[in-house]
Amino acid sequence: MAGRLLTPWLLVTPALAFLGVVFLYPVVTLLFSSLRVDGALSFGNYAAFFSDGFNLQVLGRTLRVALVVTLISALVCYPAAYGMQSVPPRYRGLVTALIIVPLMTSPVARTYAWLVLLGQTGIVNSTLVGSGLVQEPVRILYTEWAVYIGLAQLFIPLMLLTLISAMENLPRDVVPAARSLGATSLQSFTRVILPLTREGLVVGGTLVFTGCITAYVTPALLGGARVQLLATLLYQKAGVTVDYAAASVISVIMLALTLTVAGALRGRTGRGR
Amino acid sequence: MKIHRSARLLFTLLPLTLAAAHAQKATLVVSGFGIAQDKIDKNITRPFEAKCGCNVVFEVGNNADRLAKLGARRANPNVDVVLLADYFAKQASAQGLLEQLDPALLTNYSKLYDFARDPLKDGTSVAFTVYSVGIVYRTDKITKPITSWKDLWRPELAGKVALPNITTTQGPPTVWLVNRAYGGKDSNASPAFIQLGKLKVLTYYNQSSQLTSLFAQDEIWAAPVGRFAWGGLLNTKKPLAWARLSDGQAGLVNVASIVKGSKNAALAHQFIDFMLSTPVQTAQALDLVDSPANKQVKLPAAVAAQLTVGVSQVAGLRFMDTAYVLANRDNWIQRWNREVVR
Repeated sequence: MAGRLLTPWLLVTPALAFLGVVFLYPVVTLLFSSLRVDGALSFGNYAAFFSDGFNLQVLGRTLRVALVVTLISALVCYPAAYGMQSVPPRYRGLVTALIIVPLMTSPVARTYAWLVLLGQTGIVNSTLVGSGLVQEPVRILYTEWAVYIGLAQLFIPLMLLTLISAMENLPRDVVPAARSLGATSLQSFTRVILPLTREGLVVGGTLVFTGCITAYVTPALLGGARVQLLATLLYQKAGVTVDYAAASVISVIMLALTLTVAGALRGRTGRGR
Repeated sequence: MKIHRSARLLFTLLPLTLAAAHAQKATLVVSGFGIAQDKIDKNITRPFEAKCGCNVVFEVGNNADRLAKLGARRANPNVDVVLLADYFAKQASAQGLLEQLDPALLTNYSKLYDFARDPLKDGTSVAFTVYSVGIVYRTDKITKPITSWKDLWRPELAGKVALPNITTTQGPPTVWLVNRAYGGKDSNASPAFIQLGKLKVLTYYNQSSQLTSLFAQDEIWAAPVGRFAWGGLLNTKKPLAWARLSDGQAGLVNVASIVKGSKNAALAHQFIDFMLSTPVQTAQALDLVDSPANKQVKLPAAVAAQLTVGVSQVAGLRFMDTAYVLANRDNWIQRWNREVVR
């Protein structure tokens, strides 16, 4: 009997030991280093971080960017995922492959493509100017807009894939049933589709939100110094100014944000699985 | 069976004999940038190994990482010679991580330009290369040549300028020279920050490769830049010119120092001396790795045009006191984030 209880533990021990060494230990070390000021434990590093208006601005911008990109991807992906259900099965593999291909391209390559597309002489601006919609090229690169565009393109496939798999679990007849009982299409979305696919939305939302918080290449290249996010500020503190106290504080804040949002969204599913 | 046993014995002993052979040779550990390492190995590492009968091991990384490692291993250093940008070397020196250099052990010391002999003014370092920080501009878009730092503020350049970010090595000298151009004193950089806050900047670059693509894609027409990027900028095939600035270019150096507590101080001096020798400095310049700090180096005009060389050019450079940068950099980064980057 004891042996049977022991077996599962034996099976997970290698994985737990690995994670303990390469994940738990560094995280605890990081936490302690953020709380250390001249060898003593204190919240001084945090006080210094939060008393600087510039840091608060970066924190606020990071949250705004992550939130907006998550909303955009949910809005774009719901109709697409629903539409995907009516794609004939033999084409569905092809469409799924098309969604996955961008995920397999390096973020650096994708971001560089945006640098070319969004520039002063890029395709977006030459179309706008050529069609007479604007007189002068529009400044998109190195603004927050460029970061929204780049991150949305980066993470929309993730949201789409999770929503598609959530929709696949949706019983086929529920929407026609709702419609036959007099629901408008909006009502059948808010009262049938949305509640039944909420878990997919939560998983997708968590992936996109945390991805946005931790993304580095896209904000660094498309936003530049003017659109600093926590990840780019972290790089500056650790890699350039060698300010490890501030760097560890930023890392802990990023981790806390991710965990809080993941936990809060998970609570919203009402099941807490 | 016998063969088997002797083979086993051989394999047991082989590592030991190799280790013994290894132990007889001294090993010098050099911490470097890792840029153009193949050329450095060809021009410096292998010839020096042949000369000294020792091993040279390079440990590479950016300035900040390597400085942090030096600090972390202060009690038991495993690096002998460290190559850093002047400002980072000053930080290392201020933290007591560098040994005093003995110029008497450097036979090539007298061949160095004045600025290279003691660039940190504390006896810890010699410069092995120099580069200027000036302004590059498009000659087809800007017909009236740029001759002053103030020209970046010309109305026709609005939104067509990129600045080096304050956290790059070119950032502080840009602030410093702009401040002087607008009549500021070194004790007060406010004139620079007030003016830079008004400058219509497209973006702030962190690497010279970013700047190259900004020029290549017609995003910008002018930018302050380090001379080491000039070759890459010419590859864009755009009509570019290196401005002749009446209010001066900044001179920045990379320095060599010996790490405090190094057990190979004599060998470390020999290595640094070798780096400064005329043949090595010439080879590094011909490969476009580093502009020489040794004034006896003679180069073909085509090579010299891509580097920061020659007595006349070097005479026009303004060298910023590293102690001054160290004292002001944190404050400048804060002001830059608040007043310039908006």
